[in-house]
Amino acid sequence: MEYVSPEGLRLDGRRPMEMRQIRGEIGAVAKADGSAVFEMGNTKVIAAVYGPREVQNRSQQMNDQALVRCEYSMANFSTGDRMRKPKGDRRSTEISLVIRQTMEACIMTHLMPRSQIDIFVQVLQADGGTRSACINAATLALADAGIPMRDLVTSCSSGYLNSTALLDLNYVEDSAGGPDVTVGFLPKLDKVTLLQMDAKLPLDIFENVMQLAIEGCKAVANYIRELLLENTKQLEYRRGV
Amino acid sequence: MVGLSLGEKHFIQGGIAQDLRSDGRKRLTYRPIYVETGVIPQANGSARVRLGATDVIASVKAELGKPHPLQPDKGKVAIYVDCSPTAAPIFEGRGGEELSMELSVALQRCLLGGKSGAGYFHTEKSAGISLSSLVVVEGKICWDLYIDGLVVSSDGNLLDALGAAIKAALSNTGIPRVNVAAGASGDEEPEVDVSDEEFLQFDTSGVPVIITLTKVGRHYIVDATTEEESQMSSAVSISVNRQGHICGLTKRGGAGVDPSIILDMISVAKHVSEQLLNQLDSEIAAAEARENES
Repeated sequence: MEYVSPEGLRLDGRRPMEMRQIRGEIGAVAKADGSAVFEMGNTKVIAAVYGPREVQNRSQQMNDQALVRCEYSMANFSTGDRMRKPKGDRRSTEISLVIRQTMEACIMTHLMPRSQIDIFVQVLQADGGTRSACINAATLALADAGIPMRDLVTSCSSGYLNSTALLDLNYVEDSAGGPDVTVGFLPKLDKVTLLQMDAKLPLDIFENVMQLAIEGCKAVANYIRELLLENTKQLEYRRGV
Repeated sequence: MVGLSLGEKHFIQGGIAQDLRSDGRKRLTYRPIYVETGVIPQANGSARVRLGATDVIASVKAELGKPHPLQPDKGKVAIYVDCSPTAAPIFEGRGGEELSMELSVALQRCLLGGKSGAGYFHTEKSAGISLSSLVVVEGKICWDLYIDGLVVSSDGNLLDALGAAIKAALSNTGIPRVNVAAGASGDEEPEVDVSDEEFLQFDTSGVPVIITLTKVGRHYIVDATTEEESQMSSAVSISVNRQGHICGLTKRGGAGVDPSIILDMISVAKHVSEQLLNQLDSEIAAAEARENES
């Protein structure tokens, strides 16, 4: 199948190095300590953060750092075909773990010993790149909750189809069977915290594809930073400063 | 869970007794309802309803299936509710399953009726969606409607909000027109052609709304918040349609209620339902207009 037309356009009309439209919104769940909605094209996720609070399960309590927990769940209606999967299947457990490790790496857990931070991400619509969208939403929600972080970790995926490196794969491109590189990136520290790839890829091409994903992460980070600044200005305005 | 001090509990109870609740509402006033339709593009119909800090999404998906052998002239409708852990940390893992099941069953009872056939959707005269309209080829092919509810944020009164969201999602639903290839007869499976341009809309004017009356102390209130629900002794959910017919009823909570109070509650629910139906209908119309504009 042709994923990039001779004119250099992808199936959804994007250029190879073009991202889908991203949109974020802070404060989607009123009762949570921090929450956000993040959309990447048709992929839409909600993240809610509860904490830092008392550790629920005492045996998990750590005396030198905070316990970070994460749960990823998909709504029944999020995919094209309606699915009814039991909660906690292997895929969502794996993604929960990935998100937890990525967020744990940027939260300053040593500042909040003997406490627990819960991150819940709920996929409302899945159209490829849910992992990335979840991490971006979780970053926004953590920032909204006012949890100290080393940097705003952002994520983006890229792939390689029809001898072209493609940024931010959608569902059709993702299921094409080509390599799918998901990168989590700390833009200020210039460090990669998450890197996943399936399928094989020559080393020199991999370098390009990963670089492309990093560029995507930087773009997301810029957007998130602007969004947070705007949100802070709004808060400032409401307080009458 | 809700942690309230003794003083806060007294404040809530006292406010309800004096017909002035913590957020300034009267006992029988709903919080403002906000409806958004078409939020899930992959579904045949969807809606998001916000009732104060309560936020729910309902989606309707239609799939072609086989009718039940005992009811060859009827389609099937199923309602499932899921409580997202984003709404409350206690819903994490399997924690939300019990509540999800309770809500699913209550919604089925209030909107669809029981298996006995006496239920709401089965009585053709008052049916919101007649199940017969879901049949494509009698005894062979019908539409299965899967209604999925998702609780995104929870601040009490989930059942009423889910009921409203399902009503809005159904009015937003388009079922593709199906053309059956002529000539198929006997035992062979008829060939069908699902149109992706023509859609049939439901007439949802008959779909009931659910009114939950929560009893706190000697009085009862509508649209209770989580704090108020923590003080309830019992709650009665009544679904009422446009004609003022009672379509289903569920009582929750431990304490017993005097039968005369239940009858009183039903008549109050009937009265409140008129306002709620009007408000909901105008919100749905406004949401559809907004959706068509964009």
